[in-house]
Amino acid sequence: MRSATAKTEEIELQLLLEALYQQYHYDFRGYSLASVKRRIAQALVLFKCPSISALQEKLLHEPGMIPQLIAYLTVQVSEMFRDPSYFRALRETVVPHLKTYPSLKVWVAGCSAGEELYSLAILFREEGLESRTIFYATDINAEALKKAEAGIYDLDRVALFTENHRKSGGKTSLSDYYTAAYGGVKFDKSLRERAVFSDHSLVTDSVFAEVHLVSCRNVMIYFNRELQDRAIGLFQDALVRRGFLGLGLKESLHFSAHAGSFTPFALEQRIYQKRGDR
Amino acid sequence: MNDGNSTLSTAGRSSGLARKSLRSRSVLPLLVGFCAVVVFFVTSSLTGYNKIRSLRDNSQMVAHTHTVIKTLESILSLAKDAETGQRGYLLTGEAAYLEPYSEALKRIEVRVADLERLIVDNPAQLGRVPMLKYHIANKLGELAETIELQRSRGPEAALVVVRSDRGKIFMDALRQNIGEMVAAEEQLRSRRLAESDLAFRTAVWNSIAVSVVGLVLATVITWLLRRVEVAKQRQEWIQSGQLRLAGQLVGEQKVDDLADNALRFLSDYLEAQVGAMYIEKDGAFQRFATYALPTMDKVPERIRLGEGLLGQVAKDGKPVSVDDVPDGYLTIGSAMGQRRPRHLLIVPATVDGSVNAVIEFGFFKRVPSDALELLDRVGESIGVAVRSARYRARVQELLEETQAQSEEVQAQSEELRVSNEELEEQTRALKESQVTMEEQQAALEQTNAQLEQQTKVLAKQKGDLHRATNTLEKQARAVEQASRYKSEFLANMSHELRTPLNSSLILAKLLSDNKGGNLTEEQVKYAQTIQSAGNDLLGLINEVLDLSKVESGHIEVIPEPVEVARLAENLRGMFSPIATQKGVAFRVHVSPKVPESLVTDSQRLEQVLKNLLSNALKFTERGEVTLVIDRAKDGRVTLAVSDTGIGIPPEQQQIIFEPFRQGDGTTNRKYGGTGLGLSISRELVRLLGGEIQLSSEAGKGSVFTVLLPEIYSGAADASSEVVSSGKFETKPVVHEAPTPVRFSSQSAARVIPDDRDRLKGDGRFILIVEDDEPFVHIVADLAHEMSFQCLVATTAEDALTLTRQYLPSAVVLDLGLPDNSGLFVLERLKQDARTRHIPVHVVSASDYTDKALSMGAIGYMLKPVKREQLAQAFEKLELRLTQKLQRVLIVEDNEVQLDSLRLLLGSGGVETVGVLTAGECLEQLKANTFDCMVLDLTLPDASGFSLLETLSTSEQHSFPPVIVYTGRELSASEEQRLRKYSKSIIIKGAKSPERLLDEVTLFLHQVVSELPAEKQDMLEKVRGRDDTLEDRRILLVEDDVRNVFALTSLFEPYGVKLTVARNGREALDALEKSLSTGGAGVDLVLMDLMMPEMDGMTAIREIRKRPVWKKLPIIALTAKAMKNDREQSLDAGANDYLAKPLDVEKLLSLVRVWMPR
Repeated sequence: MRSATAKTEEIELQLLLEALYQQYHYDFRGYSLASVKRRIAQALVLFKCPSISALQEKLLHEPGMIPQLIAYLTVQVSEMFRDPSYFRALRETVVPHLKTYPSLKVWVAGCSAGEELYSLAILFREEGLESRTIFYATDINAEALKKAEAGIYDLDRVALFTENHRKSGGKTSLSDYYTAAYGGVKFDKSLRERAVFSDHSLVTDSVFAEVHLVSCRNVMIYFNRELQDRAIGLFQDALVRRGFLGLGLKESLHFSAHAGSFTPFALEQRIYQKRGDR
Repeated sequence: MNDGNSTLSTAGRSSGLARKSLRSRSVLPLLVGFCAVVVFFVTSSLTGYNKIRSLRDNSQMVAHTHTVIKTLESILSLAKDAETGQRGYLLTGEAAYLEPYSEALKRIEVRVADLERLIVDNPAQLGRVPMLKYHIANKLGELAETIELQRSRGPEAALVVVRSDRGKIFMDALRQNIGEMVAAEEQLRSRRLAESDLAFRTAVWNSIAVSVVGLVLATVITWLLRRVEVAKQRQEWIQSGQLRLAGQLVGEQKVDDLADNALRFLSDYLEAQVGAMYIEKDGAFQRFATYALPTMDKVPERIRLGEGLLGQVAKDGKPVSVDDVPDGYLTIGSAMGQRRPRHLLIVPATVDGSVNAVIEFGFFKRVPSDALELLDRVGESIGVAVRSARYRARVQELLEETQAQSEEVQAQSEELRVSNEELEEQTRALKESQVTMEEQQAALEQTNAQLEQQTKVLAKQKGDLHRATNTLEKQARAVEQASRYKSEFLANMSHELRTPLNSSLILAKLLSDNKGGNLTEEQVKYAQTIQSAGNDLLGLINEVLDLSKVESGHIEVIPEPVEVARLAENLRGMFSPIATQKGVAFRVHVSPKVPESLVTDSQRLEQVLKNLLSNALKFTERGEVTLVIDRAKDGRVTLAVSDTGIGIPPEQQQIIFEPFRQGDGTTNRKYGGTGLGLSISRELVRLLGGEIQLSSEAGKGSVFTVLLPEIYSGAADASSEVVSSGKFETKPVVHEAPTPVRFSSQSAARVIPDDRDRLKGDGRFILIVEDDEPFVHIVADLAHEMSFQCLVATTAEDALTLTRQYLPSAVVLDLGLPDNSGLFVLERLKQDARTRHIPVHVVSASDYTDKALSMGAIGYMLKPVKREQLAQAFEKLELRLTQKLQRVLIVEDNEVQLDSLRLLLGSGGVETVGVLTAGECLEQLKANTFDCMVLDLTLPDASGFSLLETLSTSEQHSFPPVIVYTGRELSASEEQRLRKYSKSIIIKGAKSPERLLDEVTLFLHQVVSELPAEKQDMLEKVRGRDDTLEDRRILLVEDDVRNVFALTSLFEPYGVKLTVARNGREALDALEKSLSTGGAGVDLVLMDLMMPEMDGMTAIREIRKRPVWKKLPIIALTAKAMKNDREQSLDAGANDYLAKPLDVEKLLSLVRVWMPR
């Protein structure tokens, strides 16, 4: 009985994802099934639906709930200068290479609420690269993009942000970049002057620009292997020769179909460099 | 790595063992043989030595015997001597005769002693010696007695003694004694001689036997040695096979790579013709690799244990070799198909006694026996390697699983964090909601009140809406009326105009008649002019009136039977004189299929035909004008007026039917007319329930066809009038069918003779791509002078074919070719790896210098070209051909930097030339060609920017690809300026040398093809220039350099003028600017949606806000695949939408569709 229920659930889940794609063009079919299952289970509680099929019905007839569901399906959690060692490696080893380009483009794929974008913008400003850089911050979650564009975060997170920033080798004080009021901080809008926020899906969409650095952290973990390959293929297409790709610390290019197109640059920090002959 | 090592060492160990056993096996018989030889020779030489010794002993003994006999005889003779002496003395009494006696007496003693010594070893003889001594003593005693008697008593006494015969008895006894001894000795001697003879014979036989046996042994040993050598060679072959196979198996290979490598190597090594390798998988054997197998489907994918020979081998673990395979064998279940190898060899690969792979080979020749042994030996290494590969694969899988799990854990932890945050959020929210609930209660009450108020407002709005609708209806009616008023006003007005005009016409006529004869000739002419101008004015007024009547619906159709023949006759009568006067033939032809009469408004029909015919005659200078009345397939009657006049270009075929328009603005001036005729005709025909069709080609003529129903049944729908331009060839008057101007390559290619039939193999030859024959001759003559041979191609297609076929040393390329642009040829040549190296010099009448040079041409000349210039170009080509080194020019003002750059970039095949100033740089580029140039922007005498600009416009300097290498940061606009000339810009810094080296290497080994494959296809399909795009202006709003470059190179060959803006703001500025400069406006906008500062969507909305740009075509480009992006951009005001990656063909057609005509 148990397995039959599980099977039904699986079918329901697949149908739901299919419906989500057909109707709203959000493609979660290539996401890691275990993760999606957990997220949907939580969504069921939130939307007070007894089964996934019930959720599907609701979903198809109430387009208004889509943003909410998407917010549920995409795990939006990050912090500024998360894994300071990653940012330190960028600062110390990648930036000298980037300095040789007259103009730069950086793609923050899966930017969530923008923490990583602001981290990079601050890092690039400290390294004197900001004025020649355009940042592309993309995500499929429109709500998250709005948050990212606003650049407002809870005040109680800032202590952690500041600590991370210091550990990443920050040359200035993080407080230079925000103003605090009403229990929140708002990051200086000059930081996003050179940023383009856009709804872009690594699952369905294609490359939009030639970039020098792609930072895509803790996104692959929600994808299955095919989808990971597709996303890394996009990055490979987008990167200039010898461009850089940064992943989350638990992610790896090792098993990717495109592994041969990259060489490990700072393996510990999961920074890869595209090969010159690809 | 461990696995690899163990594989290797196992193979090594097994081969070591084999070597040892092999050595003992092949050396043992050799050792035994050697010992046998030694023993044999020692024995035979010992025997020989013995024989020889016994021979020598024998001969010594014989000699000894001889000596003994001699001694005996000498004793006897001494005795005789003594006797003789005694006798002499006795006879003569002279002492002299006693000499022999005394002599013998002295020596006999010695002799006997000698004899005694000689026969000491022979006791029998020795036994006779005392007797002998005795006899001697007796004899000597008797002799001595007689002699004494002689001496003392005289001869008689002595004779008495003699006569006593005692002496004789003694002597005889002695003789006998000695005779006995001699006989004994002789007997001994003959025995010894016989012995020695025997010994000699034995020795001869012995040596014969030795040589025979020696020969046999030598043969045997030689044979043995040879066998050892063969075995050694074989062993070496096997060992080298093992070693090399081990080399193939080493490293972290996947199972199928491993199988492939092993099989390929073994098949090669064993010289097998085909091979297949099966590896155990899930209890059966799966095909993992094949070698030279023709068709895969005949070869089984899987073989179970015991199934077929292969299965059997897998089961038994023993190799099987099958010779002379029968033809039908293959169906039994071997892996070999079709080719029928004559011999098969199937061997297992085992590890720890179990088979985990089976390899089958097919041979045309007999299976070499060594192969079997080699395979037997390597079986285990392969088995181990397969097992290791399997382990590795498994480890890889496990690793991947671990990675997936770690990702999963990370995902879960992320999710947990989110949940946590959510929980906190919810707690806070709960607290807040309590407060809010209360607030909401109050708010609800308030809302209620508001709602009531809103209902009231709504009711009021409804009333307003109603009123507005009424007003609108009224206004619509007013507009309609106004239109009618306009037409009526026109009708009245023209009537009012006509009255005074009539009188002035009549008066002018009277005046010009000059009946009074009082006017000068000049004045008469004036009057005539007034009259003709008045007539024109009248015609215009009539037409305006007609048109307004038609438009206002004032024309009434009066259907009546119209006789076709009469109509034709009327028209002929009317137009023949005019045609004759103009020298144009005029024909009217009525088809028998046409009914005798139509029911229509004859007056209107005639008006239409008159208009068409007079137009036709007006625009035809020579040739003919024809009216053909026929019946169309759909039953309608066609009245076709065709001419051989100036024709109408396709883009104008529509507008000539619009009021006040003519085919060409200038036509008006030449032919006169109001331009209303055709619009009136069209309206009239529509009223008659028909339509007008037009087909025409500029310069060839036009056909206007009026299609009418046989019986009038009301007006046609206004929208149904059709102008078709595709039916020109169906017109009744035969014109030459409009064929596109394109030469077939075969016919055009060989028009201009060249050297291709007498090409010398070693000669340098150039390809001249040019369709202008005189110019070809100039170039060819010059080429011959410079000892180049020439090929000539006149079309782009031909040029490509010839280049690929002959690989000329250089190409001289014209850009204006009949079938395609020369740039296309250049592009294709530079894209093909085989032709990329061929230097191309462009000669053209149009200036695409930058384009051509950036595409890799080594030079560019604008026509007309002087001979010296051509000669220079050839010299340049020649230089290029002789130049082997790749040359890099480095322009850098800092000497230290310059030196270090030269060190960095200079290497074996690269020669660097360093200059310090822009002036030197120009000198270098004037005199030499370079493959690549590294440029610092800050130079003492000129900025890098101006240097690049000078280079791009100058024809005297070569312009290699440029890498800008600068210490200063660049502004966006500076970067854009540089991008025109240089694809690579490097800012000096810690990591810049690395990148510079990388980029220079790239330029010198141009491998990166710049254009995507689709684009090549596209270019193949779309040949030549597209005049819908020629000279059109497209604003490309796109921030990605790569796309800008790709689109620029896509559109520029079509003659499109491309302006680039990097974001929405710049796009608006660019549009604004194009407005203010007037004339050169933007025809179409390609808008990327994702851009910094102002995104595409906003930009489109901004553009649409301005009325001037309401109709400006905008095509949105986006990387998004979602449908709603398309809808959004269309909502924002884009005319169309294209998703990235851009399908260039689609983009081109979209641009064509939207490009305003």
